[in-house]
Amino acid sequence: MMWSQEVLALSRRWLLILLRERLNLLFSVLQPAVWLVFFAGALGGAMDPRAVGTDDYIAFAVPGIIAFTVVGNGVTAAMPLLFDKETGYLDKLLSMPIRRSSLIVSRFVFQVGMNSAQVVVILLVALVLGVRPASGPLGVLAILVATALLTLALTAAAMALACAVPSHGTFFAITGFASLPLLFMSNAFVPLSAMPGWMETVARANPLTYAIEAMRLLVLDGWSGGVPLSLGALVVASALLLAVGSWQFARQTSERIA
Amino acid sequence: MGLIIETERLSRSFGDRLAVDGLALAIAPGEIFGLLGPNGAGKTTTIRMLATLLPPSGGAARVCGFDVVGAAGEVRKRIGYVMQQVSPMGYYMLTGREKTEIEAALYHVPRRQVKARAGEVLDLVGLSEDADRLVQEYSGGMQKRLDLACGLLHRPELLILDEPTLGLDVPSRHRMWDHIRSLCDQGMTVLLATNYMDEADRLCDRLTIIDHGREVVSGTPAELKEATGAPSLDDVFLRHTGHALREEAE
Repeated sequence: MMWSQEVLALSRRWLLILLRERLNLLFSVLQPAVWLVFFAGALGGAMDPRAVGTDDYIAFAVPGIIAFTVVGNGVTAAMPLLFDKETGYLDKLLSMPIRRSSLIVSRFVFQVGMNSAQVVVILLVALVLGVRPASGPLGVLAILVATALLTLALTAAAMALACAVPSHGTFFAITGFASLPLLFMSNAFVPLSAMPGWMETVARANPLTYAIEAMRLLVLDGWSGGVPLSLGALVVASALLLAVGSWQFARQTSERIA
Repeated sequence: MGLIIETERLSRSFGDRLAVDGLALAIAPGEIFGLLGPNGAGKTTTIRMLATLLPPSGGAARVCGFDVVGAAGEVRKRIGYVMQQVSPMGYYMLTGREKTEIEAALYHVPRRQVKARAGEVLDLVGLSEDADRLVQEYSGGMQKRLDLACGLLHRPELLILDEPTLGLDVPSRHRMWDHIRSLCDQGMTVLLATNYMDEADRLCDRLTIIDHGREVVSGTPAELKEATGAPSLDDVFLRHTGHALREEAE
C-alpha cells in the first residue's frame, strides 16, 4: 500500500514535469512518426524486397522505429536519477522513509507509459501509411508488451550507467557513442541474414534484436512460434539488465545506510 | 522521556581523513541544539550520519531511541531533514503545492490527508499565497521555507536543519528564525547546524562547537560567554577554535 503510494507520488512528479514542458512533449511524440515517414520512406525505394523479405519496407521498419524510440527514451529515462544525484535531491529522497526500489520502479512505470503512448502514435501513423499488423488488435497488445520489456531492459541499463559514471558529461558521452551502434548492430533496419557474419553474431547478443524480431513477426506474418521465443529471450535480457541496474543502484547507495 | 539524540564516540573517516572523531552528543526533547564549527569541521558529516544517509565508521548514534544503522527506517519516520543546499532543478517545474503534496505522499501521510496537510505546512511557513507558483519563480528565501515546510509534513519528532539561512537576506533570516522558534514552542526538537554565531546565540538553548571533527566546547550560549569572558558568541568561537588565527597563518 505504502509502496504503491510512493511509486504513484514519484510518477506524478515525472508526469507533471513532462506536461509543463509542452515543446518537449510535442517533439517526443512527433519524432518517431517523422522517422517512420522520412527514414523508412526514403530507404524503402533502395531496399531489395528479396533481402528484407517483403516489398512493404515501411511495415518492415515499424519495429525498428519503435526500438529506436525506446533506445532514445532509455537515455532520457536515466536523466532524472543523474540530476537528482548531482543536485543532492537524491539524498533528500533517501532520508525519507521510502523503499529504495520505489525510486527505480516509478521511473519504469512512467517510462513504460510514455513509450506505450509513442508506440500507439507510430502504429497510427503506420496505419495511415497502409500498414496493418497481421496479428490484429491482440498483436498490437503484444507489441506493447514487447515495448514494455525493452523499456525495462534499456531503462535499467541507462540507470545503471547513470549510477556508475562520475558526472552527466560522461553519461552523455557514453550514451551518445553507444546509441546508434546499438541500433545498427541489430535487425532494426536490415535483416540479420543480410549482415556480415561477425555483425550477425553481435546482433544476436543484442536484446533489441529479439524485441524487433517479435514485433516484426506480429506486424508482417501474424502469430507464430517465433513470437513467444523472441519474447522469452527478451524477458531473459530484461531480467539480466535489471539485475545489473539494481546492483549498480545498490552500489550508488552503499555509502548510505540501506 | 529519553534523549532525542544520543551519540557515543561517533566517528566517520573518508580514507585517511577523519571527518568526525569521537563525538558525544546528548540532546533532550524540545531543545534547539546548535552544532557549530568552521567550514569543514564535520557538521554536515555528523548530520548525514544522524539522518541515516551515512554509516558511522565507529561509535554509535541513536535518534528518537533508534539506532541510525540498525533501525534506519524507524529513524527516517521520525526526522525531518532540511538540507544545506539542494538545487531546485529536480522540481523547478512543479508548483510549491505540487512538490509539497508529492513529498507528503512519500512521507506516508494518508492519501486523503495529503492535500490538507500540504496546505497546513505551506500556511505555517507563509507560502499559502505563492503555493501555486512554480518553484523556479521562488526567491532563495522562499525555497528555503518550502524545504522547511516539506520537512514538517509528517510531524517529525526531530527537525534537522543544516545551514537553514545560508545565503538569505536579513528579512528572510529573521522570518526563518521566527518559524524555528514557533516550532520549538510546539515541542519539536531542533538540531541546527550553522556557521552564523548570531543565529546560534538567538535560537539555541545549548550548543556544541566542533573543529576537526572533535567537540571543542559545549554549553548554553550564556555559559560559554561567561566562562570565556567573551562579549559575543563570535568571540567564544574564535577563542576556542583559533580559526581566524589559522586562516591568517595560512
